[in-house]
Amino acid sequence: MDRLPTRKFTTTPGTRDILPPESTRLLNVQDRVRERFRMFGFREVVTPALEYAEVLEEPKLRDASFKLFDPDNQMLLLRPEMTTPIARLAAQSLAGSPPPYRLSYALPVYRRSSVGHGQSAEFHQAGVEVVGSASSAEDAGTIALLVDVLHAFGLRAPDDFAVVLGQSAFYGGFLRHAAPEAAPHLISALAAKDLVRVDELARDLPSSIGEAVREIPRLVGPADDGSILDEAARYTAGDEAAAALLNLREILAHLDAYGRLGATILDLGLIGRRDYYTGAVYEVYASGLGFTVANGGRYDDLLHRFGKDLPATGFAISLERLISVLPHEQTAPLLVLVGESIEATRAANGLRSYGVPVLQLAEDASPEDASRYARSVGAGWVCYPAGPNSLKLTPSGPEGEFFVTTPEGAAGEVLR
Amino acid sequence: MSGLRVAVPKGAIFEDALHALGGAGLPVSVLRENGRRLIYESNGTEFIVSRPSDVPVFVEHGAADVGIVGKDVLEEQEPNVVELRDLGTGACRMILAAAAARAAEVEEAIDRAEVVRVATKFPRTARRYFEGRGRQAEVIALHGSIELAPLVGLSECIVDLTATGTTLRENDLVVLDEISTSTARVVANRGAYRLKNREVSRLLQAMSSEGAVRG
Repeated sequence: MDRLPTRKFTTTPGTRDILPPESTRLLNVQDRVRERFRMFGFREVVTPALEYAEVLEEPKLRDASFKLFDPDNQMLLLRPEMTTPIARLAAQSLAGSPPPYRLSYALPVYRRSSVGHGQSAEFHQAGVEVVGSASSAEDAGTIALLVDVLHAFGLRAPDDFAVVLGQSAFYGGFLRHAAPEAAPHLISALAAKDLVRVDELARDLPSSIGEAVREIPRLVGPADDGSILDEAARYTAGDEAAAALLNLREILAHLDAYGRLGATILDLGLIGRRDYYTGAVYEVYASGLGFTVANGGRYDDLLHRFGKDLPATGFAISLERLISVLPHEQTAPLLVLVGESIEATRAANGLRSYGVPVLQLAEDASPEDASRYARSVGAGWVCYPAGPNSLKLTPSGPEGEFFVTTPEGAAGEVLR
Repeated sequence: MSGLRVAVPKGAIFEDALHALGGAGLPVSVLRENGRRLIYESNGTEFIVSRPSDVPVFVEHGAADVGIVGKDVLEEQEPNVVELRDLGTGACRMILAAAAARAAEVEEAIDRAEVVRVATKFPRTARRYFEGRGRQAEVIALHGSIELAPLVGLSECIVDLTATGTTLRENDLVVLDEISTSTARVVANRGAYRLKNREVSRLLQAMSSEGAVRG
């Protein structure tokens, strides 16, 4: 008895083929993000999809990575993010040139995902990293760029999105000063966003410290009214926390100068999802989407691993999530010109010279078949040659009716 | 007028959840209408009713802004949500139990680090518990009637949730160890917690003044 072979010709779990018009959309969004990055002086780099496993230290990211072995039996992984590879690149390959390095990327990253969690194993990120500057102006500058990118796509703060800004050294600095023994437990609880556990741990502390331990992570509110920072100032204890608060004030002053303060929400309980964050951290939330659209922050110690002591800051935008919150856009115009005659080729060529994107369907298709084909490729128009300098044109919709026009007239219709 | 969408779990903590939300001034009476509806709207607040284990899923994805769910479910699923408040109600214990007749034998097997079979609705919690003790277990995931498993030889023991212990006693099962205790928690979506912080804070504040009244 022959058995049917169990063939796996689908894409692997969590990955997918991206077809038009979705692929067009992704590439367009990528292009426009790149354009904004260029406007702020970032230069784009491409790093390999494979990295040595040792390059990545972050335990959660290592766990989430796809692993494989090279011919020397070294463990490699598919990059689960871009910040660490860029830190490695900056430390390794840019040592000769003067910092700061302003680098950008737009590349897919890979993470193992389990079926049923609605998450992809391959997704596209675009981001920037400023390596070699500790200035709060750079933190503010990257945040302003991020807001600029979102504005370029028609998203408006605070209705459509907000940048949630925290400072991981504020709570950490306070704890290391006021409650050093409880600090690691409290930071772990906050990293797990478990405020109930924070409250439990606070109960064992002296009441004045306990109150600050409970209240600091709950300081959330608009950045433009100043009240959140005033409350934070009440709880400030120790040099590290004071410096962190000053840093936040500086960032907000720069953001004010950028005119982006209204897009910012302060959250002193936000300490960032990665262990490598050392200062300002931020996440972008869009209304109606439960996940972050972008996130970033300062990571002053990460390059130390690669032998360079360079402070750095940057962010990554998740392009698929960004696209999911964008208003629907009209697709680019396309015309299907039907016919395999010399006359048809000439007509197609003529239309292109007027700037009309033309797909020549080199067969003698009936108007019904041609319209069906046009719709399947996202073309809004069907066209037949009709003598010298004359065309029969129709919208590809089911109600479309032919009319006779010149190439110039057709260009006017299609590109309108 | 909270403008929030609230996920309420069916089952054991349904009444506790309604009490807490109602005490905070949310119009929960619509939820008591015995119907098969899944979404209720009243005075600007939307309620969705789902299985307890699905509440964190709705909240994590932002399909609900806040939700009420047992700590047991949070520990099992480790969802990426903000855990805001312990309601203190719906208390129950996560326990390791075995058939009374074989309890001593099973305990000994676990002590000798033999591989025991554990039936449970909480596979990650069970695995974490055994790993934490340095013991070995083969976890068998079931969806209901966990108590049945040791009685018919599917497993040697179970990891399950119990409030009163009645079901355990009725099936001649005894508790070997208490793994954790659980109460109902208020959780929020990460985005909603920031973007709708005023509404979420107001709800929590109203809930805590209710708690104070009840002592």
